[in-house]
Amino acid sequence: MTMVKGWTGKRLRVDLTSGLTKVEEIDRTHRKRWLGGRGFNSELLYKEVGPDVDPLGPDSRLIFGVGPLTGTFAPASSRTTITAKSPLGTPEGFGDSNMGGHFGPELKFAGYDQLVIQGKSKGPVYLSIRDDEVEIKDATHLWGRKVSETDAIIKEELGDEEVHVAAIGPAGENLVRYGCIINDVSRAAARSGMGAVMGSKNLKAVAVRGTGAVEIENPEEFYEICAETRDRLKQDAVAQLLHDQGSLLLTMPANYEHGWFCWRNFQRGNHPKAHLLSGERHRDQFLAHKEGCFACPISCGRFSRITEGKYAGETTGGPEYETLTAIGPRIGLLDMNSVIHNNKLVNELGMDSCSCGGAIAWAMECWENGLISEKETGGLALEWGDADLIESLITMIASREGFGDLLAEGSFRASQILGRGEEYSISVKGHDMSQDDPRGLGFAFGIGFATGRRGGDHLQGLPCLELTGAFYPGLVEKILGTSEAEERLSTVKKPEMERYQEDLKALGDSLTQCAFTHTWSFAVQLEDMVRLLNAATGVDYSPEELLKVGGRIVHLERAFWNRLLVGKNEDKNPKRFTEEPMPDGPNKGTVFPESELIPRYYEVRGWDAETGFPLPDVLEDYGLAEVAEELAPYRKRYHEKMAKTDKAVKAKPAVESA
Amino acid sequence: MTFKTLMVESSLCTGCRSCEMACSLSHEGKCSPTLSRVRVIKFDSEGRNVPSICAQCTRPECLSACAEGAIHLDAATGAVLIDEALCTGCRSCILACPHSQIGFHPEKKLAFKCDLCGGDPQCARFCPTGALVYVGVDQFLMARRRALLKTPSEAV
Repeated sequence: MTMVKGWTGKRLRVDLTSGLTKVEEIDRTHRKRWLGGRGFNSELLYKEVGPDVDPLGPDSRLIFGVGPLTGTFAPASSRTTITAKSPLGTPEGFGDSNMGGHFGPELKFAGYDQLVIQGKSKGPVYLSIRDDEVEIKDATHLWGRKVSETDAIIKEELGDEEVHVAAIGPAGENLVRYGCIINDVSRAAARSGMGAVMGSKNLKAVAVRGTGAVEIENPEEFYEICAETRDRLKQDAVAQLLHDQGSLLLTMPANYEHGWFCWRNFQRGNHPKAHLLSGERHRDQFLAHKEGCFACPISCGRFSRITEGKYAGETTGGPEYETLTAIGPRIGLLDMNSVIHNNKLVNELGMDSCSCGGAIAWAMECWENGLISEKETGGLALEWGDADLIESLITMIASREGFGDLLAEGSFRASQILGRGEEYSISVKGHDMSQDDPRGLGFAFGIGFATGRRGGDHLQGLPCLELTGAFYPGLVEKILGTSEAEERLSTVKKPEMERYQEDLKALGDSLTQCAFTHTWSFAVQLEDMVRLLNAATGVDYSPEELLKVGGRIVHLERAFWNRLLVGKNEDKNPKRFTEEPMPDGPNKGTVFPESELIPRYYEVRGWDAETGFPLPDVLEDYGLAEVAEELAPYRKRYHEKMAKTDKAVKAKPAVESA
Repeated sequence: MTFKTLMVESSLCTGCRSCEMACSLSHEGKCSPTLSRVRVIKFDSEGRNVPSICAQCTRPECLSACAEGAIHLDAATGAVLIDEALCTGCRSCILACPHSQIGFHPEKKLAFKCDLCGGDPQCARFCPTGALVYVGVDQFLMARRRALLKTPSEAV
């Protein structure tokens, strides 16, 4: 047998019901077709998790995936994608989340491209993987523990501090719908509730130790490409700013130049005191040191120290921009000390800070408008920016205690349970928005929010060509044919931009290489990714072919939603973005032009204008003929569903007037 | 010629382990921390990262412990080198090193260690922050002394 290069060609499958584990081969055809990481995972999810599977039941799959560049010298090649049907979506639909840290490379060194967990253990367990020794171990003593305690105890009992642990906190155990998975104590796979899926399987943690190697097809050539791209990142203005301030570099331009700083659940896009949360202020007063994920020359990670207040002296990994704003300005708070403390708290309890902030923001806006009273909250007054209250709510959500039980459902479900306040759930397909407002951030982003695989989330395409593209002379014009698309709030070529960046992001997530190297900074470009892949593995892709693999992944994820009868009607931004003009700031009066851009995006994608389903010939072009065939009956059912909805909408005024 | 040595400023280390990959790939043609001469010790909860690498002792205990005469000092770089042709894989040097800087190659079953890449250490070349530097000792120390003076209260 010839030796596999780049990849390991192995999938580890663990059934927690039977306790059996097996190693499966991932053959060359499959590797070339789906690349790794997100691609491997989405393919497996589509194939093994049908529309009727309960995401929190034993038939669901929890999938960890890494790719051909994971655990290599390629810059920022550490990412891990975790995929499962999400318990957060409405309906429960596609879910995945991507984390940095050092867990993914360790899984690779242990000899696996993918880890699939299925079934459900009778009691709490954790999984220990040491190269080819795989053990399911009792975790009764870990249940209820915070993430850092779990990490420490597992390392101690395995007698090996070099183990990398991906764990859930109490939130995942308690099936908080946005419970997350955290590795290396503070690197989160946060979005879409992967931690709740893990909790539903009674799996507290996965501990990995690998001593093997990633084989490289052309080591000298690969080394030279790594050196070249690393040197370029070192010279790159965006990458250097990320190194200097982390993603917190966004605070100042978001607030003062672009007007998309998320203030009080997106009621406004700026605040005069936003500078209190600036990257410069964090660097000068709160930064203990910079942290890097595996093999990352950017090292945007922060390690912070609280300087004032009751938690002065406390240290923790983070925050990054989304967390900073989710549990900060989104809920009316501009105190860096509180944000750092609450960032530690949500990590320790194992929750997605975005959805947690989204749920709290929803409740606060309901309170502001008299839709929630002390009767529902058990006596709590939900005033914006009350730091002590916010801390209590975070703890109550993780333990599903009192009012926290409702917020643990996510803002959209909570509004359905309560029977009011849906307009204040700033979410798409049940997934709370990340803190990114398309009325200021950009219109390509807005397309991704409406149509993305995990609801309102900036990481569908991370189309930074409209944010930082102008830093790279000629780049936007080269890709899209015009530099007009560099303008954030222009509609010119935005569907094309979103399409390009979604496909690029999908292949980056599959290789796996951090998006910050090629879709925020553009120091690493598609051509470089192809060279890295080809030199590492010996495949012979062209840039066009590789981008097409990215498109194939995006389409399969779309088909996963379509099979759940989700399409055009559900591709909608929150009304706040499409109907409420930005009240003030540099972008005053802007709304996201959804009715213009989404149909254009469908056209660019080759998706049916009526249903939003990819057209059969487009799927066939991506090599997904079987998926096209499988979707046929769902197309028909979706038409019927739409007809019914139309009828209900038309009938509604009549009922009301009667 | 200025004598250079590999110095570690662990407060600058981000724990990214680019050094491990540069080392492993340039020496072995594959990517594996286990095959890297330099390793980073990470303390995730404390947020502390410490690169760990051979000090290239002037009077190496590994050299004294080697009964085969397989270890010698390189005159040009000061590196302590292992001659693979003479090494028997007896592991005496591994046990003798007071800093635990000698590894045991899983395939060759021989001892291996940092060789300063013949005078152009790749770990330092690719360290993004200067936590690992290959510099003249005087230059390194004077820069450090100067930095200490910038915060008078901490200067000793």
